[in-house]
Amino acid sequence: MVKLEDLKKEAQRILKSGKVKYIIGYAEGTNSFMPVPVFIKDPEGVEKLIWNPACVHNLTKFIVDEKKRIKQDKNPDERAIGIIVKGCDSRAINVLLQEKYIDREDVYLMGVSCEQTGVVDEKKLTKKLKGESIDHVDFEDDGNFVVTTEKGKTKIPAEEVLADRCIECKANFPVIFDIVFGEKIKKRVDEPFRSVEKIESLPKKDRWKFWEEELSKCIRCYACRSVCPMCYCDECVVDTISFAVEPDTTAEEKAQKIKWIEKSPDLSENIVYHLTRAIHLAGRCIDCGECERVCPLEIPIRFLNKKMEKEAKDLFDYEVGFDPDQPSLVSSFKDEDPEDFIR
Amino acid sequence: MAEEFEPKIVAFLCKWCSSAGSDLAGVSRMEYPPNVIPIQVMCSGSVSPLYILSAFKKGADGVLVSGCHPGDCHYIKGNFYARRRIALVKELLEYMGFDPERFQMSWVSAAEGLKYTEIIKDFVNTLKPLGPQTKLRRNP
Repeated sequence: MVKLEDLKKEAQRILKSGKVKYIIGYAEGTNSFMPVPVFIKDPEGVEKLIWNPACVHNLTKFIVDEKKRIKQDKNPDERAIGIIVKGCDSRAINVLLQEKYIDREDVYLMGVSCEQTGVVDEKKLTKKLKGESIDHVDFEDDGNFVVTTEKGKTKIPAEEVLADRCIECKANFPVIFDIVFGEKIKKRVDEPFRSVEKIESLPKKDRWKFWEEELSKCIRCYACRSVCPMCYCDECVVDTISFAVEPDTTAEEKAQKIKWIEKSPDLSENIVYHLTRAIHLAGRCIDCGECERVCPLEIPIRFLNKKMEKEAKDLFDYEVGFDPDQPSLVSSFKDEDPEDFIR
Repeated sequence: MAEEFEPKIVAFLCKWCSSAGSDLAGVSRMEYPPNVIPIQVMCSGSVSPLYILSAFKKGADGVLVSGCHPGDCHYIKGNFYARRRIALVKELLEYMGFDPERFQMSWVSAAEGLKYTEIIKDFVNTLKPLGPQTKLRRNP
């Protein structure tokens, strides 16, 4: 089990030593049992830190944001940032290191073990408890969660309320860290791609029907893009106004500027957006499930990214986020890559 | 009598091999269907998945990406990158329930004019029974 006291002590130590400029962690939420990200600058603030199965957020996004801010800053504070990472978040750090977006010295990683389970799915849990107001959720040693509600404590088997990604997670323990809390318990995963295989097994017509239904819901709010730690491009292909409009830019020039994807939430545009995003994340998505969590229309975006992860494994024997020194999926090749589809 | 459906194919041909191959087919006066719209790109490795999706979105019934044979790339390894990327796009399109036959890739060298005509003939023949591509086409 992760000892919260140790975590706080370590956070206090590094803040006092001035090694880090601030720590990104989780704190108690204000109006629900779900925690919120917290930025702690002074050593006294570490009391706010918590760690429980409801800490679902991938905090590495804030590292990416900070990196962007530093670029603009004239006198940037070059010290490291302390960050609490789960297994999946640590893989995100690995990918950012692999792409040389951050340096190892930029971050001080405080790894936490997800125990034998993982994090909860807020929707599943509220449904399970049928609207009882939840106070907080805790880990239990035997792979269950203990939920404290207004009526008292209840034990819930983890697999019933676990987030979908955690059920298929292969590494519920940080793979890169400076200090780690909790034990490394290797969880057995029999079917790491169960959700993808379920869709794959459908006939072609039903697969199309499924995606047509899901993707026609998309309102193109780009929440999935905003929350993704890998979506850090300065210019995104979906933003049509990313070219310089100068005083002498004619209307015709503006009209003839290539627009790859239109803004309208039309089905074909939505499909092109989501497929493009899936391909951009091929070999980079570490399956933190944030895109799906923030989607206001509950589109199963994870299924697209997971499919890419599966193909990377099946076709190219490539696993995402375990080795920061390996070349990335689409910028490398092997002589024996499959080519049976090519004439 | 209703006119027979004529598929529209967008072909991304690399400048150094496939485009020269299609040129050879032309200057040798080989006959092949006129359904193909060739787009010359510098390398098959420069074909972004977005080009392919965009072609489908704008109403292509089939898309062909063609480059040099492995080992013959003018830029040494561009077609190897293409091979990886196209494999991913193909898998993804199939996963979406899109007809996988509508998207093909081939290796055509500058000397293979005949192979190019055969590829186009076969492609047109596979596309004809499928009918117009409506899934990714943007409705006007």
